[in-house]
Amino acid sequence: MSDNLARVSFSSEREPYEAPARRGFRLVSAAPNRRTRPRIFYALTAVAGMAAIIVAQLLLSVGISQGAYEISSLQSSQSELGRTAASVSEDLVRVSSPQSLAANAEGLGMVSNSNPVYLRLSDGAVLGAPASASGSQAGAASLVPNSLLAGSTPLSALPKATGTGETLAITSAPVVPAGLAAPTTR
Amino acid sequence: MSVRNSSARQTGARTNPTNSRSSRRRTFFTIVVLFAVIGVFLVRLVDIQVVQADSLTADSVGNRSVGQVVYGSRGEIVDANGVVLAGTVMRYNITMSPVNATPFKRTVDGKKVVISVAEAAAEIGAATGQTGDAILLTIGAALEANAKANFAYIAQKVDVDVLRAVQELHIPWTYSENSPSRVYPNGAVAGNMLGYLSGEGVPQAGLESGQNACLASTNGSETYEKGADGVRIPGSSVTSTEAVDGGDVITTIDSDLNWFVQQTLAARAQETGAAWATAVVQDVKTGKLLAVADYPSVDPNNVGGTKNPEDRGSRAFTQSFEPGSTFKALTMASVLDAGAATLETGIVAPYRYLPANGANINDSHAHPDQRMTLAGVLIDSSNTGMSKFGEKLTDQQRYDHMKAFGVGTPTETGFPREDGGILHPVDEWDNQTSYATMFGQGLTTTALQVASIYQTIANDGVRMPVQLVEGCRQTDGTMANVPDQVGTRVLSEKAAHDTSDVLEMVYQKSWVQSKWNIPGYRVAAKTGTAQMPDGQGGYSNGYLVSVSGYAPADDPQYVVSVSIADPVKLNTSAAPAPVFQEIMSQVLKKYRAVPSGATAPDLPSTW
Repeated sequence: MSDNLARVSFSSEREPYEAPARRGFRLVSAAPNRRTRPRIFYALTAVAGMAAIIVAQLLLSVGISQGAYEISSLQSSQSELGRTAASVSEDLVRVSSPQSLAANAEGLGMVSNSNPVYLRLSDGAVLGAPASASGSQAGAASLVPNSLLAGSTPLSALPKATGTGETLAITSAPVVPAGLAAPTTR
Repeated sequence: MSVRNSSARQTGARTNPTNSRSSRRRTFFTIVVLFAVIGVFLVRLVDIQVVQADSLTADSVGNRSVGQVVYGSRGEIVDANGVVLAGTVMRYNITMSPVNATPFKRTVDGKKVVISVAEAAAEIGAATGQTGDAILLTIGAALEANAKANFAYIAQKVDVDVLRAVQELHIPWTYSENSPSRVYPNGAVAGNMLGYLSGEGVPQAGLESGQNACLASTNGSETYEKGADGVRIPGSSVTSTEAVDGGDVITTIDSDLNWFVQQTLAARAQETGAAWATAVVQDVKTGKLLAVADYPSVDPNNVGGTKNPEDRGSRAFTQSFEPGSTFKALTMASVLDAGAATLETGIVAPYRYLPANGANINDSHAHPDQRMTLAGVLIDSSNTGMSKFGEKLTDQQRYDHMKAFGVGTPTETGFPREDGGILHPVDEWDNQTSYATMFGQGLTTTALQVASIYQTIANDGVRMPVQLVEGCRQTDGTMANVPDQVGTRVLSEKAAHDTSDVLEMVYQKSWVQSKWNIPGYRVAAKTGTAQMPDGQGGYSNGYLVSVSGYAPADDPQYVVSVSIADPVKLNTSAAPAPVFQEIMSQVLKKYRAVPSGATAPDLPSTW
């Protein structure tokens, strides 16, 4: 708006230069038209500019707050996933504890053997006294408690996982080339 | 233009006289109103910006901002292979606002259903493993104590599955908060050493307490502003204090071996009806403890499960006892080191020996006088024979050797409340003590100190500091508090080797040979059967039976020391011998200590 006023006073300042040539003439209609049109034009430009700025500002802040919501939801999903990861790795560490491994190994029918015997490759010598594993450990009873494993079932006792979705229909025994005898283990 | 303008001015001037006065009045009035309005604004402005500024700012921040604790994570305790023995996990407390516990509406299948407090309580109970009534009682109790109670715990330290189950109920008056907790994934494996924290996170015992300076973390705090819908306003986060994570304590323990040792020890201790038992596995060359087992053990996840508070610590570190005959190895080594005797020196060992100073020594079983060498004395574990060798040194000489072996001083592990044992100064020894100290009575040692004596003999006479902690791995990866591992020579190499040869003879000829035999290996070991004090200055009927030794004897690598206290069903060293055999076999197999196949020495035991 100050812009408009400045232009009026500017044109009146220019008058003294034009005045001598135009004295006596009364041309009225053209000049005011020429002046009023710019006024509206500039006003509109300014207002439009401001409107554009306001709209841009609005869009920007909408954008930023949209981002804030997005960040907020991503952060909460990140923290949820972090919790899941922590809980899953906790499970993993728990089942890899010696008590769990021993219970699972025994569930598969394994026995511990602490009798150290070596076969020296250089001369085929047997170091130590080979003997069948006595399973010297005190049976399946764990004497080293781990309350974290309370209520967990040895993996061997769980029902076998079945292939979901795709049915793996392998009913026949794998084809063995003729002449390959099955090894007998004593 | 000027013409039109001037004429306009003239007409204006002409019509002015009547208007100008009213216009001036109007101007004046406007100005007054304007100033009044400005004045009002100004006063308000000063009031808000200056007078009430602080309280208003505080109010506004308080309304929008949310302060929260940023938890620093307490460091882990890991074993030599990086297996986590103690770690920090996040647990959650489920809380509620009792005053707001009212029926609420929930949309089920597109219909609004009113859920009563009792129904909600039952749902929460199903998720947290309580009864609905218990939760209703909690609400009732909280409201009874304070009619406007806005906070009560429903369940504390629940895991994320329970938290999610409760959150899915969408009950508007339930909340949750973080509560960092300690977890020991391997349960009682090394549990006696690890210690535990109280419910408030204060370390109570063991490494948790002793290494707290390394492990402890510092919580930080963070403030941010949130909008009406609870979403954080962008860029408003103000972190006031950074959280500092704790460092990790690296131990020298092998968790798998420790489990094996604990399992084997517990089986034998239960079988023999023992009061308690300890077993120690130490690396000969470095002095590092590879396993320290205690029976009864404690599961730090469930400390209350171990009823007797004395069973919650580690007796290997904190319980000293009269070691008995395993100590004869030290006396023999001192005699050999001082050159007072050799492996060929012979003495006559009677059943009862009455030295000139008035002491009275007898052997555990009646026997005629025997012409023995050091090897013979050790094989038969003769107290009288040991006395005849021991008296070749002065009390002070033997005392100095004991001190050099670490008797009477806590070891270098830095374990909290570690016992140093009792070793009285020489001038306090009476006649009997002077002789009793030769065969491990009249002084006390911990299982750790006994292991350290055998480590010294095995390591060519160089005692390594006993090491339990490798150091504190700080968050930037650097190691701090790394203990000094400089050995000290206690015995000459010759004395150490001679002692070792005698101990190997003991392994071959002892009456428990069939019980501790490890085929293919050369082993050096000694049994001990010591009467236990009755707590009133005398001895009880109980015995502390033990076996200490190392293998392979021709290139010693590992010391194993097993002590079983008061095994009522088998109170001889036949109780610990099979445990020694199993643990030593496992250690040799686990660390691939291949037998050399060299033949063991054969020393004469008589002359």
